[in-house]
Amino acid sequence: MTASSSARTGLVLNQLSRRVGQQTLLQNLNLEVAPGEILALLGPSGCGKSTTLRCIAGLDQVSSGRIELAGETITALPPAQRNVAMVFQSYALYPHLSVAKNLSLGLELRRVPRAEIDGEVQRVLALLQLDGCRDRKPAELSGGQRQRVALARALLRKPALFLLDEPMSNLDAQLREELRGELRGILHSTGAPVVYVTHDQHEAMGLADRIAVLKAGDLQQVGSATELYQDPENQFVASFLGSPSINLLPLHPGELVGLRPEHLAVAEAGAPQDEQEVAVEAQRQHLEWLGDRVISHWRVRDTSVKVLSDAQSVSAKLAQANDRPLQLRWRREHELHFEQATGRRIR
Amino acid sequence: MARLVLLVWSLGPMLWQLYTSFRPTAALTGAGGGGWTLAHYQQLLNGNPPFLTYLLNSAIVGFSSTLLTLLLAIPCAYALSRMQAHRARNISVLVAAAAAFPAVLLFLALLQVARDFHLANNLLALSLPYAGLCLPLAILLLQAAFRDIPVELEEAALMEGMNLWQRLRWVLLPLMAPAISSAALLIFIFCWNEYPIALTWLSQSDLLTLAPAIARIAGSSIFTVPYGAFAAATVLGSAPLLLIMLLFQRQIISGLTQGAIKG
Repeated sequence: MTASSSARTGLVLNQLSRRVGQQTLLQNLNLEVAPGEILALLGPSGCGKSTTLRCIAGLDQVSSGRIELAGETITALPPAQRNVAMVFQSYALYPHLSVAKNLSLGLELRRVPRAEIDGEVQRVLALLQLDGCRDRKPAELSGGQRQRVALARALLRKPALFLLDEPMSNLDAQLREELRGELRGILHSTGAPVVYVTHDQHEAMGLADRIAVLKAGDLQQVGSATELYQDPENQFVASFLGSPSINLLPLHPGELVGLRPEHLAVAEAGAPQDEQEVAVEAQRQHLEWLGDRVISHWRVRDTSVKVLSDAQSVSAKLAQANDRPLQLRWRREHELHFEQATGRRIR
Repeated sequence: MARLVLLVWSLGPMLWQLYTSFRPTAALTGAGGGGWTLAHYQQLLNGNPPFLTYLLNSAIVGFSSTLLTLLLAIPCAYALSRMQAHRARNISVLVAAAAAFPAVLLFLALLQVARDFHLANNLLALSLPYAGLCLPLAILLLQAAFRDIPVELEEAALMEGMNLWQRLRWVLLPLMAPAISSAALLIFIFCWNEYPIALTWLSQSDLLTLAPAIARIAGSSIFTVPYGAFAAATVLGSAPLLLIMLLFQRQIISGLTQGAIKG
């Protein structure tokens, strides 16, 4: 698919900015989402991801820039006319109406024939496994069920774009993981572009096709999870993705060397090493044994360093050894260099 | 035990009036005699005009005032609840000041207004000053209730394509029903009991509302105080209010406690 054809049918944000008083919430944001693609907006609190979503929805005013959907410029349109469906963080279900009525109200007001409404509501209830809930009120549902009703309401509209604002943040961790795959499948099957806001990197990496990382209203990088993880543009993106987070070592003046904990290995001092490997002296601080892996904490020249090793590996066994001098080693190809002053990646 | 005391304390006056209304005048004034009588009620219901006229007049005034007040207060309260906090606060302070204003200072001015605009002896015209006096409290009450409705609910309705009228009809007003019921009841009770303005604006005997009508019964004779008739009038006048309270008690309680709105 060429860039121009996706622009005709997908979502395009062009130099989007939003300022409120003295504050700049969004700065010249440029993004494209192709039909059938899930784009995650990822970033810490206050980075502008929810603002972006609300601007696309039309709930917040845009200061400058353009929003296009399916070839049509929607920047000036009121929310009701944008053909966009949104799932809110709090689900925003109508508390005084039953589930079935929550779902059908929008269609009824648009004068869709009764038989068609009933058929569609039934279909979507079955799709999201909500068959038993149709006559219950939102207060009688569990968190997961409410989330699915909110999603069902959005699906029923068959919109040109889906917006989801941290829809799983109110659910417990296990439920979130279970629903992630299901949600991805359902969203993909609609064929519409999806913008998904989250502050959880695992959710973003597991659910989205591409991730856009935002910081203080500025787009840091956009790409697939692999691209962002292996080839970050700056220190912020490198630190935000990855758990435990990347180690940053001031090994050379003016720059920081980034090393992912899983790329570090523990070795005996004096053991043979090949020319692609780098070794440093390190003092062990403590260990976290997590069953399938071990996170060891070290001190390298006044910097704390974390090493992630598979529980069965030589590295893990050495990390627990107390009787010999130890080193940390890594391969040069795994180094990520960043300018210390700006955080920008030096390639 | 405490509940019993509270019950007796609250119901005491009403039960006393109920008792008094069935006793002959002679028994009430200590001149002897006893037993029970329906004479007081007969006197009222067969009077000129019959007592039921006054009930009807009060009902007309009550409903029209309630309607007018709510028609004005609901949009105002909605706007205030969705406005920026600091601007809304300034206006709320003005509204609260109006609520605290001593209405008695207005009577002479209101009398002049009634004369100039020929509003005297007109039941519907009474809803104008009544709405004016009830608006501040209604606005404050409804504003608080509107604020309890999460903005996201309206945004969701907006995203579904609902215009303002549809949002009001399907989302906002149903959720506001308890608060609106409470406000409506407070307004109605106020109008039902209001005396000074009704007294000055209404002189035609068949147009009187309850309060001035009952006052006339009390002052009708210079030799006796018609305790019995007075009590009967009180019982008849309170009955409709009691009925409304009983019918709408669930809405009133939830509207006053405002815990009902959670999505």
